[in-house]
This record gives sequence, structure tokens and C-alpha cells, in this order.
Amino acid sequence: MAGLTIRSVRKNYGPVPVIKGVDLDIAHGEFVVFVGPSGCGKSTLLRMIAGLEDITEGTIAIGDRVVNDVEPRDRGVAMVFQSYALYPHMSVYDNVGFGLKLAGTPKDVRDAKIREAARVLQMEHLLDRKPAQLSGGQRQRVAIGRAIVRQPDVLLFDEPLSNLDAALRGDMRMELARLHKDLDATMIYVTHDQVEAMTLADKIVVLDGGVVQQVGTPLELYNKPANLFVAGFIGAPNMNLVAGTVDAINAGELTIALGATKVRVAIEGATSLKAGDAVTLGVRPHALTADASGPLKGIVQLIEQLGNETVVRVKLAEGEEITAVLPGQSGHAVGAPITLAFDPASAHLFGTDQLRVG
Amino acid sequence: MTSAPAAQRQEQRLPQTRGSRKSRKAAWFFVAPAFAFYAAFVLVPLAMSFYYSFLRWDGIGQARFHGITNYVTVLTDPKLLQIIGNAFQLVGYFTVIPVVLGLAVASVIRGHMAGPFGTATRTILFLPQVIPLVAAGIAWSWMFANTGVVNQGLRAIGLSDWARGWLGDFVWALPAVGIIGAWVLLGLCTILLVTGITKIDPSLYEAARLDGARPWHEFIYITLPGLRQEIAVCVTLTVISALASFDIVYIATQGGPGITTMVPGLEIYRLAFAHRQVGLASALAIVLMILVLISIAPIQWFAREKK
Ligand SMILES: Nc1ncnc2c1ncn2[C@@H]1O[C@H](COP(=O)(O)OP(=O)(O)OP(=O)(O)O)[C@@H](O)[C@H]1O
Ligand SMILES: [Mg+2]
Repeated sequence: MAGLTIRSVRKNYGPVPVIKGVDLDIAHGEFVVFVGPSGCGKSTLLRMIAGLEDITEGTIAIGDRVVNDVEPRDRGVAMVFQSYALYPHMSVYDNVGFGLKLAGTPKDVRDAKIREAARVLQMEHLLDRKPAQLSGGQRQRVAIGRAIVRQPDVLLFDEPLSNLDAALRGDMRMELARLHKDLDATMIYVTHDQVEAMTLADKIVVLDGGVVQQVGTPLELYNKPANLFVAGFIGAPNMNLVAGTVDAINAGELTIALGATKVRVAIEGATSLKAGDAVTLGVRPHALTADASGPLKGIVQLIEQLGNETVVRVKLAEGEEITAVLPGQSGHAVGAPITLAFDPASAHLFGTDQLRVG
Repeated sequence: MTSAPAAQRQEQRLPQTRGSRKSRKAAWFFVAPAFAFYAAFVLVPLAMSFYYSFLRWDGIGQARFHGITNYVTVLTDPKLLQIIGNAFQLVGYFTVIPVVLGLAVASVIRGHMAGPFGTATRTILFLPQVIPLVAAGIAWSWMFANTGVVNQGLRAIGLSDWARGWLGDFVWALPAVGIIGAWVLLGLCTILLVTGITKIDPSLYEAARLDGARPWHEFIYITLPGLRQEIAVCVTLTVISALASFDIVYIATQGGPGITTMVPGLEIYRLAFAHRQVGLASALAIVLMILVLISIAPIQWFAREKK
């Protein structure tokens, strides 16, 4: 049983702060995904959990043991590297069994465990090969096999699928989900890929600039982004963010002025906003519909036909450009006028402090 | 020296499998000048030596066919055998010390390469490589002399009994020559091994640490296999330096005292030009060449990627 507790963790490289105070609780068996833009410190945080980087400040506990000064091998963690990091001169069998061998596991026990891991990952036929004789996907399997064979409490993945092509990535994603169900291990997974994050995670941690922006289930993050950064980061295509001002406040609803255009946005509970306050309106492209009676008027700039849906880039009368994803193969034309509407309950509002309102 | 990487080998094969007759002719045309030089300065002298080795000849007068007598002499004369033995003893110093120290240095400064520590270490260790061998030999002769720094150091730490004229000592002259050679070759080996270790994926070491490897395991299971090619190059070069050594010995001891530091290279020179026994010198040269080839063949085999 090993959850993870991260308390006020900081990491500096020389004078440069990279992780600026992270607090995180991860329950045993959870599948947690770290996402964030390049350079935000995802790998650094993961490597600190693994013990490959020193912790400048704060504590990391695995189970109820603080592991700041525990060697990587004694932390009960295993890691799958982006580059796979397979030992090039060892066979797959020896790669998977290396940790067991160093731990002095008797040969027959070791053999059974290696074969079991190979069976789980469907790579029994690869055991005699060298890493150089494997495809990318097969190497990935071996790397995962090497990680799970010692039954670690915590499995760490640093962008494990980023070197694979789209189809294989889809397969491996499902495989990882299955593996998580089968194994009784906590998994922490770093990725750039939103689809991976949304589909695999029990809990997503959004990082930016070494700070946790939001922690929540995939749908919480999608439906209630805590701030402008998360709003813009989660969801594809990106949420439309348009500057406006509060025009009027009614019960459960605000009227927002975007230049001359007035739109209605539903909010839950009370708000401290007053008429005249600057806000940012967020509307997901999928929340927009083509509706002749709608409030948003503009000119079509660009059309991408995806078959099942149509991505339309619209320049609003106020000069802002927004993206709408309309169902089916819409008959709009570049240069033609278009009118868009959205459900007031599907819109998001952010104050000048960038935090969510309502 | 090392076997070419697979991709490169494949390219080298291409003209043979795909090349037309015409392009093959063109290939020969391009190779011809280099081949002519190679023939004139390597193949012909080699053939001449081989021919001379069956003669009894003073280099000037009438040569007489001598059969394999010269070879019998080389392989039975106790002095010549001792001289060949000396060369193999030098391998112990010229090869083992630089490769072991080079590996140690490479392992220690791995990960600190970018820092000033790595640069300083590399520069200092490479320095012997840029000093002319003659200057190095002379400098070491002074250091090993009766009043040289080696003895000064020994006396300073109270080991005056150990002080001696190292290069004139029947027991210690050969090891002293070996130390000079090791010092000269250390830089080359270190540079090769340090460069090689930077090409090993650092995440291999991290994966090993997570697998429970101690530094010793990392060395055995990652560094050594990762440096196989570089180690093979170092061993090949240093073994050749030892077996075919000439300059260091010539400057430091001239083979003395007695023949305790005499090596085949120097003996060939002495036989041919001082003793005017060109045939015997040639036979010794051929034997030396064969010994070198036999010695480095297993290294080449060991370095080859096993498929
Ligand atoms: N050894 C190091 N020395 C100095 N700075 C470093 C070092 N390693 C990482 N950094 C810096 O720390 C920051 C975070 O790096 P990290 O590798 O954690 O980013 P990341 O979120 O994993 O990015 P990516 O998605 O591109 O992998 C980056 O700005 C990087 O430049
Ligand atoms: Mg990273």
C-alpha cells in the first residue's frame, strides 16, 4: 500500500527555480497524469519522486516513509523512460531480469517472474532478442516489462509513448489502462498528449512554470477549469478566450459586453463582480452552434472539413478571432457571414486575477 | 581499426552489389593513386623484408641464400627470445596502466564533462600526447636519474633505501621504461574513453540505479560494454606501441643495462645497421609483425558486435 505525499517541494538548478512549491496527495492505486507545456517541470518532479534528482526543499513520502534521502533502488519505484533506456548489450530476458538479478533473486524465481511479465505484455517470443532487433513498440513493452517485474509500489512513466506512431500509441494506451487495472500499483505518468491524459488518468495534475495549476479528474478540468491557463490548456481545439466587461448582473446569470455585442453567461452562486468589471469569456469550440438568432456575428476566415465535424475560424465583428467546431459537414463558405450562439451554462468566466468566476 | 558501424558497412557493400561494370572501373580509378602509394611504401618494403629474411647479407656485399636459418635463430637464440619477452612485458605497462586509469578517469568525470573539472582533467591528461616523444623521454630520464625528482621524492618521505638509478638498474629499468610508455599513452586512452563514455545514454545509468545497481554494477554492466569499441582501439594501439616500441627505449636506456630493456624494434635497428646482419634483422621484423598480428587479432574479434 503506497500512496504518495508531496509537501512544499521545490527544486532549484543553481539559482534557477524549476519547481516552485508543489503539494500533492496521490492515493494508492491511482493513475495520476502530469501535463503541462514543455519545460514546466513535469520530468523534474517525476525524477525527484524516482530519486534521480535531489529535492532542494520540502518532502516526498511514499507510503508513510519520507524518501528524500532514500536511494532510488530502495524507494519501491520503477520508471519507464522516454528513450526506453534498455541495456543494449543484454537480451530482452536479461533486461527484464536485471533488477531481480541485482537483488539476488534465486534463478528459478527470477525466471518465473520474467516469463510472467513477458506473458502479461505479450512479448514471450522476444525474450532472446537484443534491443536493437526490436521495433519501437516492442522496446516500449520491454521497458514496461522491466519496470513491472519487480512489482514496484509506484510506477513512473516519462512520456513513454511519444516516440511511437499514432496507431501504436492508441494500442499502447489501452494496454497501459489494462495494466493499471491488473497491477496493484500507483502510476504517475507524464505526457504532452491531452488524449493520453484524458483517457488514462484518474486524476490530472496541470503544471505550469513549476507550479500546480489545478488537480482534478479529467472531466472536472474540462468542465470547471480553475484558471485561464487550465482553460486554455485542456481541450482541443483550445477554448476561445475573449476579453469583455460585465454589463449587468441578474440572478444566476451575467450579461457580458464584448464591444457592442451582449452575451449571457450562467454562473453558480453569488459573485463579487460588479457592472463594468473586466472579465475574460471562455467558450469551447464545441459549445458554439450556428444559429441565425445568436449573439456572435462574424465572417468565416477558414474552414477545415474533418468529415464528422467542421472546424470554422470566425472573425467577430469586434475583431477577435474564435474557433467553432460545428457538427457534420456544414455548408459555410470562406468570406460569408455567420452567426454563432452558445448555451449560457456552457460558458466560463475568468476575472482579472485569471481565476474562474462562478 | 574498429569494425565500421552497420549502416556504414552496408554502404560499402552497395557498389559491389549494385554497381555496374563502368562504375567499378571508376572506383578503381579513384582508388589507384592511394593504392600505388600503399604498394610503394607498404607492400613492396614488406615483400623485400620477407625476401631479405631468407638471406645472409651485410647490406652492401654479395647476398647468399640462407634458408630458414634466420628464423631458427630468432626463435631459438636466448638473447633474442629475451628481447621478444621484454616487449611482451612492456605490454603490461603500456596497455594495462593507461586503459585501467583511462577507464577510472572516464567513469569519475562522467556527468561532469561540461564543468571546468572535466575540461581541466582532459587537458592535463592529454598533455603528454602533444609533447614530442623525444622530449618526454629525456625529461623522464632526468626524473629517473640518481638525483632526479623520483629519488628526491623517495628520500623526502624517508625511503632513501629505495632510491636508485632507475634506468640503470637491472631489475627496475624495464618497469621504469614501462612507466614512461604508460605516461605517454595515458592521454590518448583517456581521451578515447572519455569521449566514448559521453556517447552512452545517461538514462541507462539512471535505469540501472532504479534497478538497484551500485556504482560497481554500473561500471560492469553499462560502462564496460558501452566502451567495448573504444577499449579495443586503446588496447590495439597500446599493444602495438609496446611490441613495436623503439623511440622511448632508444632515448631512455638504449636497451641497457645489458639487454634488460632491449626490445625487438631497437634490436632490428642494431642488427641491420650496427651489426650488418640484414637477413637476421628482417627475420626478426617479420616475426615481430606476426606476433603483433596474433596479439591484436583476438582484440578485433572481441570488439566486433556480436550478432
Ligand atoms: N540539469 C539541469 N540543469 C539546469 N536546468 C535544468 C536541468 N534539467 C532541467 N532543467 C530546466 O528545468 C525546467 C524543467 O525541465 P523538465 O525537464 O522538468 O521539463 P518538462 O516539463 O519535462 O518538459 P518537456 O515536456 O519538454 O519534457 C526546464 O526549464 C529546464 O530547462
Ligand atoms: Mg520532460
